[in-house]
Parts: sequence; structure tokens; C-alpha cells
Amino acid sequence: MLGLVRKRLVQLVIVLFLLSIFTFSLMKLAPGDPVMAILNADEMMVTEADQVKLRSELGFNQPLYIQYGQWMLGLIKLDLGTSYMSGKPVWNEMMERLPITVQLTVGALLVMVSISVPLGILSARYPGKWPDQISRICALIGASVPSFWFGLMLIYFFAFKLQILPSTGMGTFSQTILPSFALGFSLAAVYARLLRAGLLGSFSEDYIQAARARGVKEWRILWFHAFRAALLPVITVFGLSMGSLLGGAVVIEILFSWPGLGSMAVDAIFSRDYPVIQGYVLLTGVFVVVMNLFVDLSYYLLDPRIKQGKEGTA
Amino acid sequence: MPAVMDLKIQNLTNKDSQQKVSGLQSIPVLEIKDLSISLRGANRQEDHTLVKKLNFTIRPGEMLGLAGESGSGKSLTASAILGLLPKSLHVSEGQIEFRGKNLTRLSEKEMRCIRGKEIAYLFQNYQGSFTPFIKIGKQLIESLRSHEKIRKADARKKVLFWLERVQVPAERIFSSYPHQLSGGQLQRVSLAAALMFNPSLIIADEPTTALDVLTSKKILDLLADLQKEVGCAILLISHDLKHLLKRANSMAVMYGGQIIEKGLTENIETNPLHPYTKLLLRARSVLTQTVPGKLAVIPGEPGLVAKQGCSFTLRCTKSSEKCSMVPEMQLAEDSHCTACHNLETEEGN
Amino acid sequence: MKVSHILQKKPYFPSLVRINSKPITMFGLFSLSIFILITIIGPFLVPNDPFTANMAERLAPPSLTYPFGTDHMGRCIFSRLIIGSQTTLGITALVIATVILIGIPLGLLSGYVGGRFDSFVMRLADGLTALPEFILAIAIAGFLGPSLTNLMISVVLVKWISYTRVVRGIILLEREKEYVLAAKVGGCPTWKIITRHLLPQIISPVLVLATLDVGKVILIISSLSYLGLGAKPPEPEWGAMLNDGRPYFQTIPELMFYPGMAIFILVLSCNLIGEGLRDKLDIKSI
Repeated sequence: MLGLVRKRLVQLVIVLFLLSIFTFSLMKLAPGDPVMAILNADEMMVTEADQVKLRSELGFNQPLYIQYGQWMLGLIKLDLGTSYMSGKPVWNEMMERLPITVQLTVGALLVMVSISVPLGILSARYPGKWPDQISRICALIGASVPSFWFGLMLIYFFAFKLQILPSTGMGTFSQTILPSFALGFSLAAVYARLLRAGLLGSFSEDYIQAARARGVKEWRILWFHAFRAALLPVITVFGLSMGSLLGGAVVIEILFSWPGLGSMAVDAIFSRDYPVIQGYVLLTGVFVVVMNLFVDLSYYLLDPRIKQGKEGTA
Repeated sequence: MPAVMDLKIQNLTNKDSQQKVSGLQSIPVLEIKDLSISLRGANRQEDHTLVKKLNFTIRPGEMLGLAGESGSGKSLTASAILGLLPKSLHVSEGQIEFRGKNLTRLSEKEMRCIRGKEIAYLFQNYQGSFTPFIKIGKQLIESLRSHEKIRKADARKKVLFWLERVQVPAERIFSSYPHQLSGGQLQRVSLAAALMFNPSLIIADEPTTALDVLTSKKILDLLADLQKEVGCAILLISHDLKHLLKRANSMAVMYGGQIIEKGLTENIETNPLHPYTKLLLRARSVLTQTVPGKLAVIPGEPGLVAKQGCSFTLRCTKSSEKCSMVPEMQLAEDSHCTACHNLETEEGN
Repeated sequence: MKVSHILQKKPYFPSLVRINSKPITMFGLFSLSIFILITIIGPFLVPNDPFTANMAERLAPPSLTYPFGTDHMGRCIFSRLIIGSQTTLGITALVIATVILIGIPLGLLSGYVGGRFDSFVMRLADGLTALPEFILAIAIAGFLGPSLTNLMISVVLVKWISYTRVVRGIILLEREKEYVLAAKVGGCPTWKIITRHLLPQIISPVLVLATLDVGKVILIISSLSYLGLGAKPPEPEWGAMLNDGRPYFQTIPELMFYPGMAIFILVLSCNLIGEGLRDKLDIKSI
């Protein structure tokens, strides 16, 4: 167990290193001169002296590896530079917006769990019957519908036609429903199918039959024996789909005008606010890697048979 | 208990052939009458019936051996008794009478109360007997608490007591995961799980096939010892005649979903009647011979079952025109009966 | 050589005719062919120039001249939808083709040559997987500027990984088999072993992977175009058209309904075909 944690932590460091190189070099490759961008932002006449002064202030006249080193040192102290636009430290800016994105993703996850678990269980209990067909159709639609369009259709029906839910804004519970649903629906369908496949797999295991033969109650068999084994594939994919969840969150935040991390990133792209983009990419990258670490660790809690060397390929 | 009494009388009159089992003159624990198992949704055709018109009884304290090659319907019969047939199959005909209750009529809830408590099951696949990610002790306590209201601490005591009875290091096994145990240990633990409730019937479905010779002997010895103590009936399913001949009081031989011969073990061993049983017995290696002669080989592919008439006819050396008809069970001697058309001619030889 | 040819069972191209057993797959195939047909003959079909703005006729309801009405610039929505299929399908085809052209050779080499090259490719893949494609697209759009080309680059950067992994996995499995050894013993050169004996094994899984990816690529491109990070406004890309319709959403929802529906049906058909192929060719790992 500890061996794996160590192995994963080493991987984590490597990935973070690659990530930092990646964002740093992209920043250097970026077209346009950030110095000019900063100075132009104030719409002033730019003198040569101003440029030189700013250049040395930002350390741009030093060799690349020193710039990288200084940038890394700052990174460790959570100093991601300051936003060109707002002039605030990027870290603070992100921490202000993080709760909004968290609220959205947690809402989406709740939607996902509350749809996919019952639907997955029902379609595994009655394969080929109507719950199974519904989950099949939902999965097909969920995989094919563009999330932003789905969100728009939700707004159209629930906010404009039926007028039961607010279309934009955030804060209240009712304002959270539509965005969470728009983001969580396609995931819910996918996970219902995954859960169904996992449950069907574990229902056919001998130990389920053995538990039945011992007279264990059917609901106990479902939750304590079958469900746990079925969770393994679900959790693997969950780790992988954290990325698409965050990506989807960008679209949904824009759609519902939520000032979360995603809208921050998109705004930053249009205003060429490189430190902010860099901060966003780093933060989400770290988040995805850490989530995958948790997924790996959760295998151990779910199945004690998994031994250290057994799943090295992942 | 008038119902039971009625049943007893009924049984005595109905199945006189089986009442003569010497020394076991009591109410059967399990009585299977004309049991057929078919594929669901199939339009009542002969070839969709996997088990045909099975009849047998087990009495308290008796060990009935059910022999037959793989695919002959032994395990299906066992699943049917427990009400755990796969969804694609169903009992299409007949009754399974267990202590006066017809199990085929019971609801799923009533069946659950019988499973594990009154009828225990030992699996061939010992690795699949317990859920791999839950500790043994927890699973045993779970099955105890599924059947009786018992405090966790008491359940724990009872589980530990039974683990000791099956001669395993109780405390350690209690807090182990199934994959940490050996096959013999697991099968012993299953035995403990089976005996905890003092069941009336234990169905042992090839309990030792996956184990090595020494371990399997020990397990079967333990099973026999505990049976004597508890007094339950055992249905021992095996494709291995050796075990059955040694331990079972009576035997039934299955081929192609039918019982083709049944009777007391000693009768079958000394005087097999059906050609298949004869071949099976001759195909055993007997250790008394220093240089074993050529073992008999049963001709044809295993699982080659005739669709009509006697199921063995395609592989039978003595098959004749009559064999295209389904043979009736005929009584030969002292509850020993067989389903073969060529019985008289055989005996004439 | 003879032995190796007998043992090599899989045909180069799995027959597409045989997948007709499932009506729903046939529906997907049928509707995708219609989309492709529209893409090809679209320019001859359009009733109006999709680029000409006509402010007098802006936001017009459907009429004979404008079957689906006009958008906020007075452009014919119907024509833009039809021409838009060129952008969407063209870009997707280009992306998938590039991905396959990068992914397969890398996987073949990685699996067959192994060693340092293999571990380098695999570590690179691991590193890139940490960045989800959407985030990578945002990073690239952010630093290199939002444009369709940059969007395509970022999708390709992520998508090659799964192809390389699948191909590598199959090669690792196959290269130890007897028929490859027989070919080696028979003096077959390495390039010939790869092209003649190993390549046919990977056609089916790659085909399934690609069909299932078509839908995903379309969704990513239209989502990012919707955000304004892909196709630029005059371009009639469906995602961008949705973005254009956004301000008039409450009054004229059709502006957003049509392009969204087009994306939905196109992606649905690709997914239906992909799933049908996967079931038919019996590839469970994807």
C-alpha cells in the first residue's frame, strides 16, 4: 500500500514537472509581447524606457532557465504572478472563483449519482426491460448531445416556457439546478451503463450465488456484495472523466453566466492574460492528477486482493 | 402436526419401492417427484428439457450420492432445490417437497428463509463461496443475522465456535479475507457456515473436486463426522464414483438429465443394472490390482444425449429398437431400480 | 511464409456489409451518408449565399426564399447549415486522419521496436493524459491565440494517445505469436512483418476507435467554437452559429435549435455506427 502511494507520488511530481515546463514554454511561445500587452492595457504612449524598465522588473532580460527557476520558486510559494487585467495575484483570483466551480461540479456529481445509481441498478436487475432501454437511450443521447445545446434547451423549456427555474445567475438552490443538470446528465447516462455492466458482471459471480445460498437478504447482496465489485470499473472511468467534467464546466459556466474558474479562463484567453491562463491550466492539471491518485488508492479500499505489483500498467 | 402425518401416510402408500431402505424408516427430509427443468419460453419440446422427471428421496441422517458426468443435470437439480436456477430456466414440472413444504410453490422471501438455514449448500468452487473483499467473520455473522435476531457479540461467539468445530484457527480465519485462505480452509469455513444453523439438509455440490486428494479426504471425513453429530441429511453430488461408493448410503446415477439407476450403494456396487453404471464402475481404477488391466472406456462423446427415447442409447453397446422409447423405472431388488429396456435380457445372460 | 499466411486469419478490411443486422446501426449509417452527401453536393443545393448579409431581412421567419429564416445578419440559416457541414465534417475528417497517421506508426514502432523509444512515447502519453483535451485546448487557444488551426492541433495532441496505446498493446500481444516467428524464420524483413502481418490485426480496433472518436471530436470542436475559441464568426460552423444565435435565444429559439440539432444527429449517427461496429467486430477493450 505504502509502496504504491510512493510510486504514485513520484509520478505526480513528474507529471507536475512536465506540466510546468509545458505551460512555461507555451507562455514563452505565445505570440505578442506581454510587456506591450501590459503597457497597452493602460492605453498610454509607450516609451522605450518604460519597456526596458518593465522588462527587467518582470525578469524577461534574464536567460530562460533562470526565468523558469524563479517562476518555479514562486510556484512553490503559490505565487503564480499577477493578472495583467485585474492586477490582482492570480492565486487569489483563482481562490475567489474556485468555490463557484466547486459548487457547479459538486451539483453535477450529485445529479450524476442520483440518476445513475438507481438507473444502473434497475437496468442490471431487469436487463432488456424498460429501465434498461431508458438508460440505453439516455446514454446514447448523453454521448451525442452537445452539453451547451442541452443546457440551452433546458433553459428554454424550464426558464422561458415553463418559467419554473431561473435561467442565469447563481447563489440560490434553484439557480443551481439547471447548470448541474446540464453538466451532470451526460455523465449520469454513461455511469448508469457502466454500473449496469459492472453489476451484471458481479451478479454472475459465484460469490453472489453463494451469498444467496446462505440466505443473505437480496438488498444486502446488492449493496454489500455486488455493488462494491461493480464500483471498480466505475471509479476507473471516474478518474478519467474528471477532465471532461472540468471541461464541461467551462461551457456551462459561460452558458449560465457563472463567474467560475472556467469563465475566468475564457475571459483571460480573449484578453491575453497569460498568467491567469497558466494558473488555470496548472490548477486543473494538478487537480486531475491528484484525483487519479485518489482513484488508485480507492481500489485498495474496494478490493483487498489488489496487490502492489498487480496493476502496474496504469 | 397433522399435515406431516398425512404426508407420511401418503409417502408410505405412494412410493413403496423406496420405503424399504433398511434402517432409515423415517419421514423423508427431501422428496423430489417428477422434477423437470426446462428452458424458459421454449415451446414444451423435448430437447429444451434439461432435467427430466426426476424422482428421489433423502431421509434424515442419510447420505445420498448423485453421480453423473458433467452436463447430466446434477448441479441444476441442486440449484432447483434451492430455488436458485438461472433466470433462463425454470421448474416446468413436478414437486420438491422439503419437510412437508413444496419448495416450487414458495415465494422468494420464504425461500430465502430456508436457504442457508434449513438447506445449506457447499460449492465446488471454494474460491467463489465467499465475497472476496469482505472478511470471513463478517460474512458469517451476516448470514447468521440474516436468519435470526442475534446480537453482534453473540453472533461472533457462535461463528468462532463453529470455526473451531471445523478445525481451523478460528480467530485468525475470522479476520481474514477469503483470498488469504487455502482451498481446504475455505471449504472448512463453508462447512462451518453450513452447519451453524443445524440444517436438515446439506447439498454438497462436488465439494472436493477442486481440492487435492488428501485435503478432499479430510474434508469428506469431517463432513461425515459432523453429519453423525448433527443428524442432517446430505445430498452429495459428484462425478467421482470413488467418493460416493465409499461414503453414501444410497446412490442415484444420472445421465442426460434423467436418473437411470438408483438404489442402496452396496447393491449398485455389487450388482449394477444399467449399462452406463456398469461402464462407469468398470472405468474405475481399482488399487487391489497390482497391474491395472485396461480400464473400460465409455464409447462416444460425454454429453452425447439422445433427443428421444433412452438418453444413453447413442452410446450404449446394447442399444436396440426398443430404446427409441423412453424406458420406465423398473424395480429390480430391494429398492434398487433402473430405467433400461434390456434389463431382463441382461439378467438372463 | 506459407504457414504465416494460413495463420493470419483476419481480413484487411472488415466487411461493412455484414453490420446490417441491427436496424439502429443501419439508421446511423444511412444518416451519416446523407450528411456526407450534403457536404459534397451542398454548394449546389444552397438557395442563398451563406455569407451575404442582408440587414433588411435580418431575423426573418421561415419563408420560401429562406426555408429556416435568417440570422441576426440577415443570412440564410438553411444555407449556412448546409455549408457548415463542410466545416464540421471536413475538420473532423482532417483531425481523425492526422490522429491515425500519427498514432498508428508510433504504436507500431513503440510495440515492435520497444526499448527507449517505447518508454519515451509512453511517458509522453502519460504526461499528456494528465491534461484533459478540453483543458489542453484552452491552454493552446490561450497561448497561441484562439483559431480553428490551434483548436485542431490541441485535439490531435490528445487524441493520438489512445490509438498509439491500442496499437502498441496489440503488437505486443501479436509479435510473440507463432505466425510472426514463422515469418521471421522465413526471412521476412521487419517492414514486411509489420505491414503484412501486424497491420491487419489493428485495422478493426482502430476503425472502431475512430468511428467512436468522430462524435467526440465533433462535440469538442463545436463546444470550443461555441466559446469562441474555434471557428470565427463569418465561418458557418455549427457551434459558432449557436453562439451567434445566443442573444436572440428567448425570441427566436430556432436560431439555436437547428445547428444544435444538426450536431446532435450527426454525432448520434457516428456513435450508432461506432457501437454497431464494436459489437459486430467484438472488440471489448474500447
